[in-house]
Amino acid sequence: MTTTFQRQNIFCKSGLWRRLCLSCVIWHASFCLAQQPTPAVVRQPATDGKVWGALIYATTDADKLTGSAEQMPTTPQDLPARLAKVFAPYTHFEIIGQHLQDVFREYESWVVPSRDLFLKIDSKGPAEDGGMNLHLQVWREQQVVAKADAILRAGSPLFIGGPKWRGGQLLFVLELRKK
Amino acid sequence: MSAAPAATDPVEQQLDVDLVIRSQAGDTRAFDLLVTRYRSRIYAMTYHLVRNDTEAWDLAQEAFIKAWRALPNFKQDAAFYTWLYRIAHNVTCDWLRKKKIQGDGEFDDEHTNHRAMPGSRTMPQGFDTPDRAIKRQELGQRIDQAIARLSVDHRQAVMLREIEGLSYEEMAEVMGCSLGTVMSRLFYARKKLQEMLKDTYENPI
Amino acid sequence: MKTPSEENHDLIRWLDDEMTVGERRAFEANWQSDPELAAEAESMRWLSERLKAHLPAEIPVPHADFFNSQIQARIAQMEVDDARERAETAASTSSRFLWLRLPWLAGAAAAALAIVGLVWTQSGSSGCSTILSTYTPNPSMKAQVIEHVDAVATVLLLEGLDPIPAEKKVVGFHVHHAESDAEVATTTLFDENGAVLAVVALNAQGQPQMLK
Repeated sequence: MTTTFQRQNIFCKSGLWRRLCLSCVIWHASFCLAQQPTPAVVRQPATDGKVWGALIYATTDADKLTGSAEQMPTTPQDLPARLAKVFAPYTHFEIIGQHLQDVFREYESWVVPSRDLFLKIDSKGPAEDGGMNLHLQVWREQQVVAKADAILRAGSPLFIGGPKWRGGQLLFVLELRKK
Repeated sequence: MSAAPAATDPVEQQLDVDLVIRSQAGDTRAFDLLVTRYRSRIYAMTYHLVRNDTEAWDLAQEAFIKAWRALPNFKQDAAFYTWLYRIAHNVTCDWLRKKKIQGDGEFDDEHTNHRAMPGSRTMPQGFDTPDRAIKRQELGQRIDQAIARLSVDHRQAVMLREIEGLSYEEMAEVMGCSLGTVMSRLFYARKKLQEMLKDTYENPI
Repeated sequence: MKTPSEENHDLIRWLDDEMTVGERRAFEANWQSDPELAAEAESMRWLSERLKAHLPAEIPVPHADFFNSQIQARIAQMEVDDARERAETAASTSSRFLWLRLPWLAGAAAAALAIVGLVWTQSGSSGCSTILSTYTPNPSMKAQVIEHVDAVATVLLLEGLDPIPAEKKVVGFHVHHAESDAEVATTTLFDENGAVLAVVALNAQGQPQMLK
């Protein structure tokens, strides 16, 4: 798809503009949903690397686990043990959702392991030692609850302590994956 | 920030550094001097974004309070004004989000007739005839109204570029977005303004 | 968020003087063969000049003295509140930490802290993630950053978040890959079989909405 906005002032009349944009979004979304499992062919922009994000439920009570089928990944290494060190007294950690995402160089990237808690990432370019400078936004549904500037490095995950839920707590793990 | 007033002159920059160090040590008089140095710029920013005198006043004040709270963590790796500006930007945008008016463009035009300070860029160069002065005022009002109808993101992009004169990289830092997003916002903001002010271009006021 | 085409990027980079001399020459050379582009560039330049001329970078703060004095008053009040809070915290914890006053234990604690600091410094230099700054829009929330040596992790604790009701079902995705279409401001999430899990679309406020 190519943009055709230049020199077409009619598109910029505010009301018409908004309606057209909204229609495009809805049309595009409907198209994608209707076309599954065949993905739409979209030219992907340049990337700065990949991140892995996961939403994790932490609890002290094994009976309260949700029964999620998600498997603990091999990296970050020893993730449950490391989470237990930080988020004591929780002893059980269950992955509810996970997302491996390209970090786009020029555009925002969304890491969405769940519709309830997710991240928006803007790349600020490479950092020393193979790291990546990022601007992060933590979203809870339609509210941005925190913003942070961070340097993410492979092997050193970022743990985010989120809201309490079912007597436990939701955690977010974000890790830079080596290129 | 290339266009930030305190960042261009080394003497002024050093004065900022000294005042920040004193403020970090708890010297409220030094912080008062920083407030005085930057209140007009921060107020202009909050005013341009919210288009309301009272709210802009409160938000500018809130930005300085937050800056005072955060000063112990400020490492002077950026200019004080850059850092302060970003705090004010965050405070204002979050307020706008809460008010759910961002992007709707449904602002109250009765608040948009704020006059610039004497000596600012809005003042005409040389003497105007009464007729020209009225026309200039009319164009100013049209620009005010058009700016007020932009979404906050677009308004912010125009302000940072046209008023503050920031580079794209600096804009990306302040707005917390990528370079591509900066260019995209600038382009669409200008296209919208261009359309809204089209008649004044074709038939100059 | 919509992506302007490369041509649109060039137009605003030209307008904002963000092009190299060579790029600028090449862009302006196109005007000969593209009068529409030349007219657009001229119109954009006219607009930019009017905006610069009209929008003030500084506006005097109404009641400026009161503006400053109120900030000073609020700072003074905050200092009082903080001092009171510190005193209350100290009073409630002092009884629990009486044992720390034993001289040999205090020395051991200091040594332990020094070791932890050393370990952290070493691990930091070997490439740990770092959080440079945080901001929470909601004033009743706080973000706390902890660099956890033992877990080799950087921790961002969000305090003051409302709990999620226990009866609410939190549904996870297993996102294999995602495709973004900047022109219509959407990101489509796919599972490993290529089926669409959800579409993230931005509304006019720049807030994400999950479709599906």
